[in-house]
Amino acid sequence: MSALALLIEAQGIATVVVGLIRPHMERTKPPRGLWVPFPLGRPFGEAGSPAFQLRVLRYALSLLEREDGPVVLEDFPDDAPSMRDTPGWQPFLADGDRSAILPSSPEAWKNALGVELSRIAPAWEAARRRFGRTTTGASRLAPAEWITYAARFLVGELPDSPVDGMSPALVVRFGADDLKALYTEAIQAADPMPSPAQVDRWFWNQTLAADFLRALRLAAISADHPGFKTAGSRFLVPAPFVTRT
Amino acid sequence: MARMEEIPEPTREHVAALSCPELPGSPWVPARRLATSRIALLTSAALHPRAQPPFAAGSPEFRELSSALPSSDLIMSHISINFDRTGFQRDINVCYPVDRLRELADDGTIASVAPTNYSVMGSTDPLTMTATARVIADRLRQEEVDAVLLCPV
Repeated sequence: MSALALLIEAQGIATVVVGLIRPHMERTKPPRGLWVPFPLGRPFGEAGSPAFQLRVLRYALSLLEREDGPVVLEDFPDDAPSMRDTPGWQPFLADGDRSAILPSSPEAWKNALGVELSRIAPAWEAARRRFGRTTTGASRLAPAEWITYAARFLVGELPDSPVDGMSPALVVRFGADDLKALYTEAIQAADPMPSPAQVDRWFWNQTLAADFLRALRLAAISADHPGFKTAGSRFLVPAPFVTRT
Repeated sequence: MARMEEIPEPTREHVAALSCPELPGSPWVPARRLATSRIALLTSAALHPRAQPPFAAGSPEFRELSSALPSSDLIMSHISINFDRTGFQRDINVCYPVDRLRELADDGTIASVAPTNYSVMGSTDPLTMTATARVIADRLRQEEVDAVLLCPV
């Protein structure tokens, strides 16, 4: 974003950029930058805290009134409190609820995930009500449709895309996002709120859905289809969770 | 946590190794006082209206986001899996603070929110985005925007 700020400023529009990676800001030197010490994905720090977000926003916009350019770089002084793990938080769906033996066929995956999804669904509906929306939908497929489609890749099939204008690899990629979003929205439906790290550890270590994404990743690595190989091997499972920890 | 030492490996190594483009010059456009400024947002979260297709990885394209668009109509199709999305799931303002910006217009801190904000794919090489920046700047001028706040993920 720092480079894009320079490109837009060069077109005659004043810019200010909020940045998450300070070394990048130091190297790229945008005209006005505010580095914030928050996790990647959260440039305004605290979800659900208008007061905290406004502090960051006001600080960033205040740099527009500085006259000591052409490079102004400031640091936001405070961490976001909700990044710390919530003491005593327990997920409503835990590792002990799941079979240790993974499904061995597409049909078995579909059935087992269907059971898990049916347990997740009420909390997901509660999350939709609480947050007023869902972030799922990029794949254009309902979770069960996507699971049925994606499971075919596990046995070496390379099925045509069921979505107009979207390649099979992208259907797999964005369907994985949708599935994970469904789960991680659901686990945030009720107080106390887990930290982002707690959500990640729960999803990747205690759900069958994560096992399914890991199985897809392994299938992608050995696939002949270059798009599926790239999307599946690089963009389904974060490196810290390629094996259950 | 976006302190480098707190980013988990191998994302930290990847981030550290990313090349930062060297662009000529040090452009500096004097900005108007905030209270008289119309402000736009530009997010690299690959946000777009729900009805639109996802961003393509590496695409220099941009999408227009009406300021009036409800957050329930926006989804994210960023290709990266290495950033937190739980905050976005709870509250879109954690990465696209359009409601907060509107509040600053309401209390007179800024003059107004631009009718249109913008979204790009953050993983795209910025050196391929010169034309994108030119078109966005033209549209910002057409809507009499004084300054733009760029928001990463």
